Amino acid sequence: MLKKLSILAATLVVAASTAYAGPVSGGRANAVIQPEPPSLMLGLVQNGPTQMVAGNIYESLLRYGPDLEPLPQLAKTWEISEDGLTYTFHLFDNVKWHDGEPFSADDVVFSADVFLRETHTRLRQSLKYVESITATDANTVVFKLNEPFGPFIGIFEVGTMPMIPKHIYEGTDYKTNPANNTPIGTGPFKFKEWVKGSHILLTKNEDYYVDGLPYLDEIYWHVIPDAASRSVAYETGVIDILPGGSVENFDVPRLTAMDNTCVTDKGWEFIGPLSWMWLNNREGPTADKRFRQAIMYAMDREFAKDALWNGLGKVAQSPVSSSTRFFTDDVNHYDYDPEKARALLKDMGYDGTTVRLLPLPYGETWQRWAEAIKQNLEEVGIKVEIVATDVAGWNQKISEWDYDLAFTYLYQYGDPALGVARTYVSSNIAKGSPWNNVEGYENPKVDELFAKAATAVTKEERQKLYTEAQQILTDDVPVAWLLELGFPTIYRCDVKDLVTTAIGVNDGFRDAYIEK
Amino acid sequence: MADFWKRFKRNRGAVIGLAILLAVVLIAVFAPLLFPQSPWKMVQRPFLPPFAMDRFPLGTDTLGRNVIAGLAYGARVSLLVGLISTLVSLLIGIPIGALAGYFGGRVDDALMRFTEFFQTVPNFALAIVLVAIFEPSVQSIVGAIAIVSWPPVARLVRGEVLSLRSREYVEAAILSGQTSITIIWRQILPNTLSPIIVLASLMVATAILLESSLSFLGLGDPNLMSWGYMIGAARTVIRQAWWLSFFPGLAIVLTVLALNLIGEGLNDALNPRLSRKGK
Amino acid sequence: MLRFIAMRLVKAAIILIAIVTLNFFLIHAAPGDPAAVMAGEAGAADKIFLEQLRAQFGLEKPLLTQLGLYLVGVLQFDLGFSYRQQMPVADLIFDRLPATVLLTITAFIISLVLGTVAGVLASARVGKWSDTLISTFALLFYATPLYWAALMAVLVFSVQLNWLPGFGYETVGGGYKGFDRVLDIAKHLILPAGTLGLFFMAVYMRMTRASMLEVSTLDFVKTARAKGLKPGIIQRRHIFRNALLPVLTLAGLQAGQLVGGAILTETVFAWPGIGRLMFEALAQRDYNVLLGVFFVSAAMVLLFNLITDILYRVVDPRIRVS
Repeated sequence: MLKKLSILAATLVVAASTAYAGPVSGGRANAVIQPEPPSLMLGLVQNGPTQMVAGNIYESLLRYGPDLEPLPQLAKTWEISEDGLTYTFHLFDNVKWHDGEPFSADDVVFSADVFLRETHTRLRQSLKYVESITATDANTVVFKLNEPFGPFIGIFEVGTMPMIPKHIYEGTDYKTNPANNTPIGTGPFKFKEWVKGSHILLTKNEDYYVDGLPYLDEIYWHVIPDAASRSVAYETGVIDILPGGSVENFDVPRLTAMDNTCVTDKGWEFIGPLSWMWLNNREGPTADKRFRQAIMYAMDREFAKDALWNGLGKVAQSPVSSSTRFFTDDVNHYDYDPEKARALLKDMGYDGTTVRLLPLPYGETWQRWAEAIKQNLEEVGIKVEIVATDVAGWNQKISEWDYDLAFTYLYQYGDPALGVARTYVSSNIAKGSPWNNVEGYENPKVDELFAKAATAVTKEERQKLYTEAQQILTDDVPVAWLLELGFPTIYRCDVKDLVTTAIGVNDGFRDAYIEK
Repeated sequence: MADFWKRFKRNRGAVIGLAILLAVVLIAVFAPLLFPQSPWKMVQRPFLPPFAMDRFPLGTDTLGRNVIAGLAYGARVSLLVGLISTLVSLLIGIPIGALAGYFGGRVDDALMRFTEFFQTVPNFALAIVLVAIFEPSVQSIVGAIAIVSWPPVARLVRGEVLSLRSREYVEAAILSGQTSITIIWRQILPNTLSPIIVLASLMVATAILLESSLSFLGLGDPNLMSWGYMIGAARTVIRQAWWLSFFPGLAIVLTVLALNLIGEGLNDALNPRLSRKGK
Repeated sequence: MLRFIAMRLVKAAIILIAIVTLNFFLIHAAPGDPAAVMAGEAGAADKIFLEQLRAQFGLEKPLLTQLGLYLVGVLQFDLGFSYRQQMPVADLIFDRLPATVLLTITAFIISLVLGTVAGVLASARVGKWSDTLISTFALLFYATPLYWAALMAVLVFSVQLNWLPGFGYETVGGGYKGFDRVLDIAKHLILPAGTLGLFFMAVYMRMTRASMLEVSTLDFVKTARAKGLKPGIIQRRHIFRNALLPVLTLAGLQAGQLVGGAILTETVFAWPGIGRLMFEALAQRDYNVLLGVFFVSAAMVLLFNLITDILYRVVDPRIRVS
């Protein structure tokens, strides 16, 4: 195991330091898409697989580098006013939709203010801060806010605000528009064909507004519904690119040991997937802070990282992922310490009540993880019963608060105001959703800190507020943080510049090329 | 009884089967003594191959858990689920079959349509849906297996009852004014016992297979180490660690084989008339 | 014969409706609904979004109304729409159905042919070593979990020996056309159909053997022997034909098992059939797909039953004469 891990680590380094030899045009990329997306219309469906394929077809105003700094996409340049209330974007003037119609500021206004406001739940939360969106000329868009909103510059990402063609959708019923089956965007690749159960084919957009891009002629997304089969398809050379999460973790060391194989865990910085266990703060032993802290000490998270995640990812130290803005390491660290856990349990007088543990029904790794944690907890004397359920049952139980401990992982979207606050602020306690403050944690101080930090204008001020919030939360342990997940993208080393931004493969194959 | 054992003994396969089953039962009963540590405990590095360390003769699994301990505890689950679900399906099947056979006519028609319906629904698919809906646990698994496996019992009992129904001693009992229930319970059912016992021994085998298939698909009780679960969990790593799926499978084959052999032996011993014809 | 088939079809239709109704209530009794799953996958679930989805799926209507609407649809061969997959359920199922039909029919034929042949061979050499060998193998196959046999087959024939592909329906991106494609699919079919057929082969073999022995003691066989007919002819014309009847009855009864077994086989071999579709749909509570799969698989079972019934009539000398 250790040897495999060191090979993996070595290849990671190699992948990071490939020498620049100059891109070449041509070739086809064979990638896996798992599971088959329900639709490619990114404005209507935003789940993982849809984003991954449609990120090549659609674009937004900005992209983000690995450090989450904004980069130009459809917007060539942009300015933010001193008071943090006015965002002005200057668009490229030679952009065309895939059907040949010109792209303009009107499309931006339609997408953000009309289409997505109706269909995109996550964007809707951020649009609450927007007073108006106006096109001042054909290539200029101005967003005016009603109060400063720190993370606002981070919402112009393709999965959050994809540009939708106004000339196709205006005045139609979005959900039944036949154009949903042949998506039209501005991206580097065009939709060509989709044979359900088999593949999705995208071809090069010859009229792309950045000269020379993209390099690839086509992208072939293969649908292979079985994890073991996907790794065999890579081994036999049918597939060149396995995006993160498309093979079982146990297969990763074997695949990365192959010749001409590179692996990277980059490209997830924006999303920042952080895993934790919900702890029901309302009732049972988990209502006691000492019990929750005991859980943190009882878990051997390093072991889980090595045995289940091939050593990829990081042990989570705080509710904010280390790749998200305003992370701080200046918090109480919970290292594996069964003795401390036992002492805490003794101190609270834990009576041996059995707690129910809900695994995440997303495959083998998560099931094994639940079994390992159960064992960890039982070793310090906590009685645990695993409750088996499927995706629908899991959703239901979490939304109805019918659990004691429950696995989950959520995305952070680059900023605590977008992806962290929602889990801990008391205004977000409501039955019916598995993604809000389902643990039932209430702390007025934390509410206040998050509220202030979201609308604070300067970075320094925000950092101070978020640091304090992270310190309080790590002491209260409203949920038991596990790992910052590392999803490895496995690919042939001659595919270059595959992952260049914080959104990784989801950001499209715009810059990717195949070395001859 | 001695006569029974003499006839049973004559079937060599049945004796072997009995020996295997006895061994499995003993291992199941004494599992906590043989392996005091929980089979879920992570005791060594993951993927330790078999025979590499004396303490772990069959190696360790993906999390470093002792495979042989898992096998011992798995025997308990298999036998328990096999036995109880068979009992439950007998409890459903015998009354339905007896009533249909005894009363005949409309009652028979209705009950047999009902039975036929359950035979038409794809068995395993129905079991999957039942377990998934009531959420995997020993109870839901036993229930689901019982619900899909009672129809053969009902058909068998119906057939037997039908043929016994016209016997003189039954007619006599009817004339003497005994209630139908008493007649079925006292006069008829005791005489159908032999074929039911034979069928039941085979049903335990089938139930063990069904339980293991459900666990293999991830629909087992997550708190109990079972053979099907071990194979299911090892499926994704079959190329790296063949032993993780091989040994539990072997355990299932042996146990099910033993039960089938015993079933044949019982058939020979209890229905001498039938068995001699086959030989 | 036609009347007989018509009667059976009417009966089949009634059973089908009963099955769909039963499953409808079972599925709706389960916790969780597809709207929540979809909202979950989109990474966002606020009240408005969920209400929108539920209204779109028609989940806000009373249960009986939903059932009624569904049944009316089914009668018009409309199996509803899968909002998860953005496709009509019928399309989804008929995309996957050929793979399952190919798998089950092949397994059915393999097991029936090999099973009866082995059974006849064994019965002809009762007590000899070849009988013992065949019977022992049958007993072993009978006791082997289908999915385990499948895994071991993959391990041996695919991973170790590299003779046969261990997963899938055809070579991914192979681009085979015409006859080459047929060959490619046939190669992929060997392991799944073989392992699915094993168990049933054992069943048919044991039944054939027992039945052959039983029939050979009957009076009309004795008469035939007394008439001086050749043993081979007696074996084929008199014994085998009659011995086949209970085997066929059994085959009809086993059809449900076969379709159920396909779920396991499809899982192990990543075979893109309706068994896998059902399993995925179940986890996501994709009601319409699940009901559709049940409808279609029950119809398949009934079809198998009908085929065996017809075979029965063709084979059974008494019925044909009268």
